[in-house]
Amino acid sequence: MCNACGNPAAPGHWTDAGAATPGDRLRARFHRAALLNTVLKPYGLTAHDGGVVPGIQMGTMAGAQAIVQTLDDVWIEAERIAGQPIDPLDPRYLDD
Amino acid sequence: MTDTRLRLTLLGGYLGSGKTTWLRHQLHVGAFGPRVHVVVNEAAEVPVDDALLSGAAGITLLAGGCCCCTGQGDLLAALRDLCDARSRVSADEARLERIVLETSGLADPGAIVAAIQGDPVLVNHIVVDETIVAVDALHALAQLTAEPLGRRQVGAADRFVLTKIDACAPAALATLRATLATLNGHATTSAAVLGESVALPDLSPDTPPADLPPLGEDQRGPIQPTQVAIPDGMDWSAFTLWLSALLHARGDDLVRVKGVVRTPAGRLLLQTVRKVVQSPEILPEQGDTRLDNHIVFIGRGYRPQDLGRSLHRFLGLPPPAQP
Repeated sequence: MCNACGNPAAPGHWTDAGAATPGDRLRARFHRAALLNTVLKPYGLTAHDGGVVPGIQMGTMAGAQAIVQTLDDVWIEAERIAGQPIDPLDPRYLDD
Repeated sequence: MTDTRLRLTLLGGYLGSGKTTWLRHQLHVGAFGPRVHVVVNEAAEVPVDDALLSGAAGITLLAGGCCCCTGQGDLLAALRDLCDARSRVSADEARLERIVLETSGLADPGAIVAAIQGDPVLVNHIVVDETIVAVDALHALAQLTAEPLGRRQVGAADRFVLTKIDACAPAALATLRATLATLNGHATTSAAVLGESVALPDLSPDTPPADLPPLGEDQRGPIQPTQVAIPDGMDWSAFTLWLSALLHARGDDLVRVKGVVRTPAGRLLLQTVRKVVQSPEILPEQGDTRLDNHIVFIGRGYRPQDLGRSLHRFLGLPPPAQP
C-alpha cells in the first residue's frame, strides 16, 4: 500500500481477476474504461482511465471530476449523481 | 503469485442440525489438514460445543451473541488476533493454514462473509473458500417451510451435508434433496451419520420437490435459478461491468451468482452471495469445461429472460439470437 495515498486499500478487486500479466491488466483497464464511457454517456457521465493514475476518473458534462477505485465505487458515484441506481434490469430500458 | 492468505471454511446450519457432531468427526479424521484453528460461535451465554471439539490446533469460543449480528465485533476481533499471530510466523515455517468457523444456528452465513470481506484488515488476510451448511434430514423441510432463516442458510451454501439420514425415510430424503436443488442448485450434496460420511443413493431426476409457501419476506416473488450464457467474444471486462452494476442495483434480490468464466488469466470460478463477490479462484484447465461461460443467477424480483437481454442492451451489443 502507498503510505501517501493509501492505494490500494484492499487486494485486487474481483473485477481485476481476469488478467494475470501486467500487459493484460493494462489492456483490460483501457478496454473497461472505454466500455464504461459508452455505458455512462446517456446518464451525462464520462469515464476515463489513462493507465497512469490509479483508479477510474469519472466526470460530468459540467466538468466535475472524481477518482474512484473500483467498479463498485463507479456505480455508487453514478447513483449519487443520477439520483437513482443505474439498473441494468430497469424495465423502461429493457422493453421495446 | 500464490495466494498465501488464510483459508476460512464457514460451517452453518439450523439449530440442532448436527454442525458440531459433523465437525468433531471431520477434525478427528483430519479432513481440514493438520494446522486448523476452530472458531465456535454460540448465540447462548452458556457454551457447550467447545467441550466436544478437540483435534484442532486451537480453538476460540465466542459465546453470548450470534456473530452475524450482535456478536460481529467479537468475531472480527478474534479473527484479527488469529491473523496477527500468524503474521508473526515466517511463511517458510509451519503456520496456521485454515480457520473453520462454526456459526451459531441462528446465523446467516451470507452476513458473515460480507462482514469479513468488508473489514479492511481481514480482507488482506483471509479468503473465505467454502460455505458448508448442515441440513437436518429429519427436520429441514419443516424449517424451510416456515423459516426465512432456514432458506437464507440454504441459499448461501456451497456444500450441503445432510445429517441424520439413517433416521429418515428414503422418500422423505429424496423430497428434501429435490427441494434443496430447487433452492440452491449449484451446491454439492453429501451425507453423514454422526459425522461419518455415508454414500447417498442416486436421486431420480423426476422426484418432485416439496411445495414451499412464500414467506413474509418473499413478496417479490419466488427465488428461481436462471442460466445466462456469456456470448462468444464477450470478454471478462465487459461482463464484470454489467455484473457489478447489476449487483449494485439488485444485490438484495440476487441471492447467489455462480459460474465459470474463461479469461486470459485462466478459468475463473465466480461466486457471489448477495452484494458480496468472493475473490475469483483460478481453476485448473482439466475437468468438465462444457459449462464454462454459463453463469447461474439465483434470485427474484426480475423476469428471468431479462437477464440475458440486459447483458446485451446494457453494453450496447446486438440482441441475443433466439434459441
